[in-house]
Amino acid sequence: MDYDAIVIGGGHAGIEASLALARMGFSTLVITQSLDAIGRLSCNPAVGGLAKGNIVREVDALGGEMGHLIDKSMIQFRILNRRRGPAVQSPRAQADKFTYSRIAKQTLEAQKGLHLFMDTVVDLLENPDHSYAGVITERGHRITSRVLVLTTGTFMEGRIFIGEYDAQYGRLDEPAAIGLGTNLRRLGFEVGRLKTGTPARVRRSSLDLEAMEKQDADPVPLPFSFSDTRIDRPMVPCYITWTNEHVHETIRRNIHRSPLYGGKIVGKGPRYCPSIEDKVVRFPQRDRHQVFIEPEGVGTEEMYLNGLSSSLPEEVQSAFIHQVRGLEQAEIMRPGYAVEYDFLNPRGLYPSLESKRMSGLFVAGQTNGTSGYEEAACQGLLAGINAAQKLKGEPPLVLKRNEAYIGVLIDDLVTMGTNEPYRMFTSRAEYRLLLRHDTADQRLTPKGYQVGLQSGEALERLKRKMEGIDAVKELLRSRSYAQKNALQALKMPEVEIDQMVGAIPELAGYDESVRYQVELDVKYQGYIDREDREISRFERLEGMAIPAGFDYDKVQGLSFESREKLKKVLPISVGQASRVNGVRMSDIALLILHLQRKEHIHA
Amino acid sequence: MDTYRTDDIIYALATGWVRSALAVIRISGKGCIARFAPVFTASQKLLSAQNGTLVYGEVKEIDQVVVSVYRDGHGYTGEEALEISCHGSLVGIQKLLDMCGRLGFRQAGRGEFTYRAFAHGRMDLTQAEAVEELVDSMSDKGQSQALGRLNGSLKMKLAEVRKRFLQAMAAIEVQLDYSEDELDEFIFPRTQLESIVHDVERLDATYQVGRLYGEGAKVVLAGHTNVGKSSLFNLLLHEQRAIVSPVPGTTRDWLEERVVIDSIPIRLYDTAGLRESGDIVESEGISRTRGLLAEADLVVYLHEDGDGHAPEGEHVLSVWAKNDLVPHKGLAISTKTGEGIKELLAAIAARLRKSLPESEGEVVIQSRRQHELLGEIVKDITSALALESQGVPLDIVSSVLQEGLSALGEITGAVTSAEILETIFSGFCVGK
Repeated sequence: MDYDAIVIGGGHAGIEASLALARMGFSTLVITQSLDAIGRLSCNPAVGGLAKGNIVREVDALGGEMGHLIDKSMIQFRILNRRRGPAVQSPRAQADKFTYSRIAKQTLEAQKGLHLFMDTVVDLLENPDHSYAGVITERGHRITSRVLVLTTGTFMEGRIFIGEYDAQYGRLDEPAAIGLGTNLRRLGFEVGRLKTGTPARVRRSSLDLEAMEKQDADPVPLPFSFSDTRIDRPMVPCYITWTNEHVHETIRRNIHRSPLYGGKIVGKGPRYCPSIEDKVVRFPQRDRHQVFIEPEGVGTEEMYLNGLSSSLPEEVQSAFIHQVRGLEQAEIMRPGYAVEYDFLNPRGLYPSLESKRMSGLFVAGQTNGTSGYEEAACQGLLAGINAAQKLKGEPPLVLKRNEAYIGVLIDDLVTMGTNEPYRMFTSRAEYRLLLRHDTADQRLTPKGYQVGLQSGEALERLKRKMEGIDAVKELLRSRSYAQKNALQALKMPEVEIDQMVGAIPELAGYDESVRYQVELDVKYQGYIDREDREISRFERLEGMAIPAGFDYDKVQGLSFESREKLKKVLPISVGQASRVNGVRMSDIALLILHLQRKEHIHA
Repeated sequence: MDTYRTDDIIYALATGWVRSALAVIRISGKGCIARFAPVFTASQKLLSAQNGTLVYGEVKEIDQVVVSVYRDGHGYTGEEALEISCHGSLVGIQKLLDMCGRLGFRQAGRGEFTYRAFAHGRMDLTQAEAVEELVDSMSDKGQSQALGRLNGSLKMKLAEVRKRFLQAMAAIEVQLDYSEDELDEFIFPRTQLESIVHDVERLDATYQVGRLYGEGAKVVLAGHTNVGKSSLFNLLLHEQRAIVSPVPGTTRDWLEERVVIDSIPIRLYDTAGLRESGDIVESEGISRTRGLLAEADLVVYLHEDGDGHAPEGEHVLSVWAKNDLVPHKGLAISTKTGEGIKELLAAIAARLRKSLPESEGEVVIQSRRQHELLGEIVKDITSALALESQGVPLDIVSSVLQEGLSALGEITGAVTSAEILETIFSGFCVGK
């Protein structure tokens, strides 16, 4: 055996997977097509955002790297949706894409037990029992390991499109990985096609920034990582402009030249992040669309045209970009394009992200049909942790829907699959009041510590935070404010904890984050209690395990459709089974009875 | 539950007390097959039937049925059991239930079948609860996921409310899923939500109609002792030729029977006579009767000369009794001669119909559960509207609305986040 583990791909999923494996003590090889592209921000140079920012903090709480990478590379920080309520606020930061990528590579290189090798994996080796054995690369290397984490991003049979032009690339001018997709199909994996896209990049000095609205960073940037205390980096602004009827007219006149509308692309693109041509076609009544101009870094003039993603021919892109206010003289440095790539149906995975078809194979990131760096990173982290758990002979870490956005994401993928690039939204989470970004450490750090990834210091820090919270609550309980018990007073919508500092000066001795958390705990308690009732119902079904190798043919009375669907998904619990599309509740009841009967006989 | 015995045979209607194509009566307990066989035409076949088989035959002079046979150690309860699939007419079902009573079976209490399953080690308590809960919600969910057993216009009405609720929800959720600077100015969909509340309330008002037709209208015979209530009771039963055995009340204070008058199903009660009494036991019975009167959809108050003033009210129908002895004007009957009975039946039907709220065409809420869920929806939306006007943030307002949406989902089939996102993507231009 050459290595304990191999990770294919050095993107956001591959980074987390390989670091987790190596940090948990296993010799790990990262095989990447380009050592210069590790941790590259291929699309938008930003990390976080609604629900996604929560994921970054969850990754950090478990012992992942993404929070540190963005803390060390951010050039603009904002908390989004401050006015919408704490449960749905989230941090977002623009990154210097060069710094981000450089630190990512440095981190991998500095990690003991982690090895890097540049080549392209074209086929997998399997043992006679269909378990994973090793990989074969383009240059003919056969490398063996006990487990494999597959994170191919947009590269597996990738093809990019710009109008009539197309080429076998995973990113513009970066060759696709050819052969692996075909071989996975041959091995019996369910492979499909998805599509995504990116806008043009333009040169800063050619833009009329005065004609645009300036969007500044928040005055105080906050770290994503629970272990970073403060951010001391210069912040730069973004700019906002709008399309207009002329832009739309140009797009409409040329729509037949789009590879999407012309039928060249078969993969489905994300509805939540449509190209500009999509927006113009689907919302003809709108006379303008917003465009954010975002810097790609500090040492570069490249600016990202957020909102103008397009795969129209370059001359059409050029024409409509120049019709946008402030972009009249824009120098286009890279064109926008669409990319279509292979993904594996995530319903072929267990909630541990291990393949049902080939044991020892774990899959993460865009290969599972997701979109976004954060979504990729969190899967990479869990795939890495669970590959390590398998090597240790310990049970996988499966996060529940009420524990983390990561739990929601993975459960959605493996239970329902996806037919468009899957992105996280707050509305996908049933219990989002519990999944605030500032509580990620409380929810997950002990779990990260338990599997051996998170450090003792992190656990200690969490303990101090919890003690602080308890102490503040105790302090409030013993004091009065506005003729009331201070703890009761804080329940009123108009009372904020910081107003109490005058009356209760000891409060100033506690961290702002601790005070804030107490305020939210107190104000949200009633609503969280309501969610708790729902959760205890949810957990009862979640807690009814379905053993591996369970025979659905033995369950009498199960409807044919439900039986077939359950056999495909192989849920690990009755709870998961109840979320499989089209499975009847009456069949779930039968399943419960059957499982209990079995237990009864065994007992 | 601790008062349940497990050594006798219990029976119950497993499907709802509504007219339908088919109904199922469940019988469970040791020896039930042998006890049932004599009233069944294919008795030999039944006696020798294996576990898990179906036997077709006739329950003598009542109905052609299919009997599912469960031998000891099998089936839901884990004991010898039968499930009789019969035709779903209320009169037919009642006759079969009556037959079960005559065979010496005991009517099952709520949850008693599940209790037996638990007692026989078929499941542990938490699972028994889970099944109860599932089956409880399923009977409606299953019914309406197909929305098949709902009548056409109710189905359409609910689907329409659901769509509007979904749109209002999407308008809010999109604010939580995308950042403020990516979206147009947000206006809380207050008017839309208020109009949903209004429509759901109107829909819920039809429950009264549904209940009358579903569970049966409560009609109580009242009046002084010896005024002839019991004679009228028996006469009405006889008229309907739906002779059934009494369903015992918790005490012997009254008798309850099911009859159908002018196609309205009715639960008819014969009560203890009303009079002031020094006897503690009797006055206890009378106070219970008063409770029943308060719940009644219609009180038929029999009176004769010298009884003083007959009570009046929206839900009271005053009737002169013993008209053969002393003739009276107005609604007057004689149980002896049958005089005025036809008029009384017409008056009962007319009064019951009159007390019903206007229902929109065929839209009628029938089940208690649907009624409760609609009430839940109104409560949740109303409290979300109140929170929003107090300036409570949208994440909380949305979580309260979510509960209303999930209540609606229990009637119409669950509303999934995928569906909300679908509505967001089709209605809002989102994404940078």
